[in-house]
Amino acid sequence: MKKVIVHPERCVGCMQCMAACATAHSRTKGLFSAILETPVPKPRIHVGVGLYNEGFPNRCRHCDPAPCQLACLPGAIFRDLALDTVLIDPDKCINCASCAMACPFGVIRYHEHCFAPPGKVVAAKCDNCFERQMQGLIPACAEVCKVHALTFEEPAEALKRKTDEVARSVSTGVLQSDLAAGFTLLNTHKRKQIEMGQD
Amino acid sequence: MEHVIIGNGIAGISAAEMIRRLDPAAGITLVGDETSHPYCRPMISMVLDGSIPHDRLSIRAADFYDEFKIKPVLGNRVSAIDVANKTVSIQNDAAISYDKLLIASGADPRPIKADNLHLQNIFFMRTREHVRGMLDALPNARKALVLGGGLVGFKAAYGLLHRGLKVTMLIRSGYPLSMQVDATAGKMIRDELARRGLAVQVEAHVVGFDGNGRVERAYLSDGSEIDCDIVVIGKGVLPAHCFVPRESIKVDLGIIVDRHQQTSSTDIYAAGDVAELVDISRNSRWVNAIWPEAVSQGRIAGMNMAGRKVAYKGSLSRNVMRIFGLDVMTAGIVNPSSDADYEVTAAADPRRRTYRKLVFLNDRLIGMTLVNCVEQGGVLVALMQSETPVTIPKAKMLAPAFNYRQLIKR
Repeated sequence: MKKVIVHPERCVGCMQCMAACATAHSRTKGLFSAILETPVPKPRIHVGVGLYNEGFPNRCRHCDPAPCQLACLPGAIFRDLALDTVLIDPDKCINCASCAMACPFGVIRYHEHCFAPPGKVVAAKCDNCFERQMQGLIPACAEVCKVHALTFEEPAEALKRKTDEVARSVSTGVLQSDLAAGFTLLNTHKRKQIEMGQD
Repeated sequence: MEHVIIGNGIAGISAAEMIRRLDPAAGITLVGDETSHPYCRPMISMVLDGSIPHDRLSIRAADFYDEFKIKPVLGNRVSAIDVANKTVSIQNDAAISYDKLLIASGADPRPIKADNLHLQNIFFMRTREHVRGMLDALPNARKALVLGGGLVGFKAAYGLLHRGLKVTMLIRSGYPLSMQVDATAGKMIRDELARRGLAVQVEAHVVGFDGNGRVERAYLSDGSEIDCDIVVIGKGVLPAHCFVPRESIKVDLGIIVDRHQQTSSTDIYAAGDVAELVDISRNSRWVNAIWPEAVSQGRIAGMNMAGRKVAYKGSLSRNVMRIFGLDVMTAGIVNPSSDADYEVTAAADPRRRTYRKLVFLNDRLIGMTLVNCVEQGGVLVALMQSETPVTIPKAKMLAPAFNYRQLIKR
């Protein structure tokens, strides 16, 4: 099954995935109409920065077993086996924040959204865009990402590619190649700026 | 293999589910005091405040016992365990023999000493039946007295305030939730509650009650009295293990278990509110009577009972609560003693009403208090549970923009 795979080393922190995610989780599905909706749609992917200001897309891992699911008091968090996705039933959610205390990645937020009962604050997180996937579309964050920091592919293929990259980088006789040279340069630049600022 | 589980709470249920998953043929008997279907104990306070109805408390399907082929023996407490003959005796019933036994009997409310405790409308808040009784008393109640500023007392006060009652909270220490939060967060909580109409009286306790059949007033240790027509006692809980033979099973405050949730007696396990095991942040044995611990410990006990030797790293005290406009999350040691080598970093933003405090011992995070910025709390809890050394500047972890990528140097 294809999944969204995060390649944090490629992220430039443009936050387009956040806008695309919020739009995908709106009622009207268009950016300009979505911002006029009440409640205003919010992203479920969170771009932050690392220690050296490098971009970092933080997205639900859909862990198995999922700590949030085990911690959920009313049993609102469940796994959809068909999409291998951890979902939250907004009707059952009691907004107790037990899942915030359990999530080792800090990806759960609490707000109203257009799939929940009106006026009710509930836990919200990535749902792998199951609505889009049922229409044959790929998750919005991966679709919009311009630098392939988020890709939608078979995990085995992505793993193979990564293994090959590592193998190439350690084998002698092969020219060392930086597969994301531009990103390495950008991140080195950011890092140097910060380190110089600290001196 | 015959498994007997004492306790129909979440630790027992989690263990039963795990055993069934690993051993489809095992016999599972579940002995429980409460007759109702498995329900979510922390949510009973939400029934009290009216945000959910009674029937939403169930956390398993109606045919749960049938589906998992569990034989429920409900409505009676276990009276004795015969370790030598491997049997469990139940009040008014025959003995049940076991190959593996799990004690997940939970905890009972800590009783108080006061005169006239037999009066009507004096409640504990531990079971759904307690809350049912409180709801029945509500229509004729106007003034409530809550004893204890711990989690239960606090949730009771919150619920009764929501129901429109005038609530007075009586606490021995200087601020509510003194076991869960530090003085700064405690004061924020107290101010918030006062703003919503809760009267908090500190450093006092009740010596007796008075009333004509029903409670009407309480007498305090300082000589004063308070009018009240409903009283909730929330002075914490004590592990329920009076039936456990001390000569063969080691008991301290709770039943002492090893890393496999096994007691000092082979084939007998304990989990949840009744168990005492190593606390990761305190590095000593501790009873952490909280829901998520009961889930984890029940699962570990179930795996070991079904023959998988899985070890548990240890328990961790933690809590999260939403108090009107405040979100509070705490874990581990929140009030470190000043003499040890603890390092404390804290940041407060009065304008946003946020507060963060982290407690370190050398390079390990061992405690935290977060107010109104709880989203990244799980990252910190995971850091404490995995005992990962913190190598980044500690102040970085207080920043609003903190995320777990920042824990990785490269």
